[in-house]
Amino acid sequence: MDQLYGISLYVISLLTFGGIYAVMALGLNVQWGFTGMFNAGIAGFFAVGAYTSAILTTAASERHIGGLDLPIILGFIAAMITAGIIAYGVAKICIRLRSDYLAIATLGIAEILRLMFKNETWATNGPRGVSLIPKPFETLPEPWNHIAFMALVLLIVFGLYVLLERARKAPWGRVMAASRENEAATRAAGKDVDRLRIEAFVLGSMFMGLGGALTAHYLKFIDPNAADPLTATFLIWVMLIVGGSANNKGAIVGAILIWTIWSATELLTSRLPDELAIRTAYVRVFLIGLLLQIVLQRFPNGILPEQREKALRAEREPQSQP
Amino acid sequence: MTSTIKRLTMAASAFALMAGTAQAADINVGSVAGVTGPIAELVAPIVAGRNLAAEHVNAQGGLLGGDNYNLILADSQCDPKAGVDAGGKVVNVEQVVAIIGASCSGATNGMVQSVTIPAGVVSLSDSATAPSITDLEDGDLVFRVAPSDAYQGLAIAQLAIDQGYKKLAMTYANDDYNAGIAAVFEQAFQDLGGEITANQAHEPNKASYRSEISTLSGNDAEGLAIFAYYGGSGITIIRNSLENGLFDKFMAADGMFDASVIEQIGADILRDNIFITQSASDYADDSYKAFAEAFEATGNDPIAPYAAHGYDASFLLALAIEKAGSADRGAIGAALREVASGPGTVIRPGEWEKAKAAIAAGEDINYEGASGNVDFDEAGDVGGIYSVNTVGDDGNWETNLIQ
Amino acid sequence: MIEFVNFHLIPGIVLGSIYALGAIGITLTFGILRFANFAHGETMTFGVYVTLTLIWVTGLHPLVLLPLAMVVTSAVALSMDRVFYKPLRASPTIILVMASFGLMLMLRSVTQFSWGVQLQSFQPGIQRPYVLFDALRISPKHIVIVIAAIILMLAVHYLLTRTKIGKAMRAMADSPELARLTGIETERVIKATWIVGASLAAAAGVFLAIDTHVETMMGFKILLPLFAAAILGGVGSPYGAMLGGLVIGIVEEISTYPWIGDAPLVSPGYKAGVAFALMVVMLIWRPSGLLRGRVF
Repeated sequence: MDQLYGISLYVISLLTFGGIYAVMALGLNVQWGFTGMFNAGIAGFFAVGAYTSAILTTAASERHIGGLDLPIILGFIAAMITAGIIAYGVAKICIRLRSDYLAIATLGIAEILRLMFKNETWATNGPRGVSLIPKPFETLPEPWNHIAFMALVLLIVFGLYVLLERARKAPWGRVMAASRENEAATRAAGKDVDRLRIEAFVLGSMFMGLGGALTAHYLKFIDPNAADPLTATFLIWVMLIVGGSANNKGAIVGAILIWTIWSATELLTSRLPDELAIRTAYVRVFLIGLLLQIVLQRFPNGILPEQREKALRAEREPQSQP
Repeated sequence: MTSTIKRLTMAASAFALMAGTAQAADINVGSVAGVTGPIAELVAPIVAGRNLAAEHVNAQGGLLGGDNYNLILADSQCDPKAGVDAGGKVVNVEQVVAIIGASCSGATNGMVQSVTIPAGVVSLSDSATAPSITDLEDGDLVFRVAPSDAYQGLAIAQLAIDQGYKKLAMTYANDDYNAGIAAVFEQAFQDLGGEITANQAHEPNKASYRSEISTLSGNDAEGLAIFAYYGGSGITIIRNSLENGLFDKFMAADGMFDASVIEQIGADILRDNIFITQSASDYADDSYKAFAEAFEATGNDPIAPYAAHGYDASFLLALAIEKAGSADRGAIGAALREVASGPGTVIRPGEWEKAKAAIAAGEDINYEGASGNVDFDEAGDVGGIYSVNTVGDDGNWETNLIQ
Repeated sequence: MIEFVNFHLIPGIVLGSIYALGAIGITLTFGILRFANFAHGETMTFGVYVTLTLIWVTGLHPLVLLPLAMVVTSAVALSMDRVFYKPLRASPTIILVMASFGLMLMLRSVTQFSWGVQLQSFQPGIQRPYVLFDALRISPKHIVIVIAAIILMLAVHYLLTRTKIGKAMRAMADSPELARLTGIETERVIKATWIVGASLAAAAGVFLAIDTHVETMMGFKILLPLFAAAILGGVGSPYGAMLGGLVIGIVEEISTYPWIGDAPLVSPGYKAGVAFALMVVMLIWRPSGLLRGRVF
């Protein structure tokens, strides 16, 4: 019985983490899936969101600035706004860069942001991180606190999903898709492609900031290590590509599936014989890499490929190289 | 969407069920460590220390009625996200009685706040030294055998003053562990009347620190205080300093305490020129020797940073389970306090049989660990007893307790 | 001033030479296979561990064993290409990037599993530098690294300008469609690209290990500066990568020189950020890079 209860709790945590990643994967989908912008700096916006919310909602502390003890919901909103403002600045400068260049520019910017969070100790407590971050529903008894938090995350995911589906079908989304397919024609039709792309970049980054804030409150702690490019940028890319780029359902499914693989493989490898002792942890990383290769070869368009009119897709195939 | 999630959930639970079936005679304890993170090389010997304690327990009669003391490794990657995930797995799926870990202070901070405290599980850290962990309202669930760096920073400052240093330059690797000790040291050294001529953070894992050290070396600094891991940047800094004649006197905290410092730099050049503090019991004493001998026999280096702490954490939890008389999460915290400090029969590393017999006879026991006396204070921290290590005539580290 | 040369400029040149070699592989994969290869850093690390093993077996100097390590590393790169990249040849760039990401994880875990994560070194002990003119300090190992790097770069130059396969590589990096039309055997060029990239990666890794030590994350840790170097020099241009690598290495080191007052111009904590800042500025100011690489 305990066993079953424990496993349910673990599934809840998988859905919570997976849901938080889904928020960020949806944000990435706005940027890459719909608009074709290769943002490799997710970790930067994640960190901005996480620290903004953490600094505003914690109680006063001598270790970092802020400590305003604001309601958590204000933290979320502020996280999205701050991430959005920074994204606007980045977009203004970088928006005309083509995909690979944009990727590396954003990667560099994210690293610089991470170094700032690490080095500006007076503001962020540097590498020691911000602790004692309040968590929504933490006063509820076990297991309701976990369930309530999961419900909050999934509700946010659902809300964003509905929002994005509407945007995708609205003129805004259609122009966006058109500009991804044929930028010149879209410009010729009198659309301000640059403005649309900036809007998409800012919107997606706001989701990433929200994902960061949710993470900070879920962990009750944030430090620069939480924003390392491996788990805060590349993993989200894997989620979107495996799930199905340009498909919002795909982004959500990919996030939860990949997180489950990332996390649950350990339950298998920790069962390996003791003689291998610590080395089993490396086997797990190997398995993750291998699974990724298999999915890429089996489902090159993702598990849930983009849903579009057949004619359009046929037209798109030949020029699949961005 | 719902159906997909449902399917995924079902798949996940089936997966977990399959993986989670433990043998009836196993008592599981989570061993959470940053095995694949940025400090993987430091974590490996610590985990080896934990495993050695489990071997000792199992070879000498096991837990309670002969149950197997089973450590379940989970990877915290030195990242709070992974720490929370790893902690959740061992607590919920593996149903562990208690947790050792989770290596880095950040990962530990996340794990205890988000998982173990709400779940009422005791966690005993063997290497998280951040002072912020002391501040947590943990309901007596969070313990550490690694002293908060607040203590060690003071110890180094005092030693430096005692040895006649007046002006020191300092540099620290910008990570959660070293930045903390450095901050305490800077304050303490100045409070004791010393002067810090220059203080700089550096990014670990760079190929060269010549530029940093050359900037630090001005202003008549008499020596360089290094707060870094030996592998990340410590050895490189000493090497660059010596090769270029910038500094020849060094002091450091326990992240630098490793045999490879002498191996890579050379004993003769370091003799009389370096001291490194480490939290310790009396190294000459039987506790450390017992551990060191056994650990060396497994092919590991007993002075690897925090390996002894790993052993102690693991052994202490076994004692606490034995003392509590059952693998019951709720009873571990109180039992842990009882077995860790006096009065009672003194138990040293490796003496599981003796401990088991004493507990069975209803006697109090007092574990005196390889890393120190491991007496927990109110916050669940251990006080700082430190040794100072210098290079001895035989080319190995020579250890003296600071009184 | 002499401090500037000893402690900023010379380390910068050494680091820059290492970056330069590593960045050539990145830029060639970028130009010819059209994706950012995240597994490049792990390829470096793998080459280093192969060398380390050879040292254990033979006891020879790492530089003597380097050619053999290059061969082994190339063989591994080729087999990775055969199994993991070849089936994805027609896929969009992003899929290849993801595949390289997966390979990065796999190769890293193989290294960690096989050799463990403990810190190792080629040669223990410290090496006093030569002191020239009573002031200039140059460490013997640095002379060796820089000379070996120059030799390798000259070899790359020879390959690209004097051999048929090298010319084909350049043609393909410039314009793949055109190259295909003129009858260049794509697969052969791709194989050559992997061999050159992996060999130079192994060399860069070994030089880095000679300068510092051996550990399993060493390649990954310099991956981002390598990308920066490739972009700075101009994607697809091997000469650009060499120049970009040198510039990034030198700028990283001299950025902490106290140009104004006594304090370092840039706090050493931000040293790593200098490379990225430089790269971002470059991208905005002149996206084709210093030596006019391709703009995708």
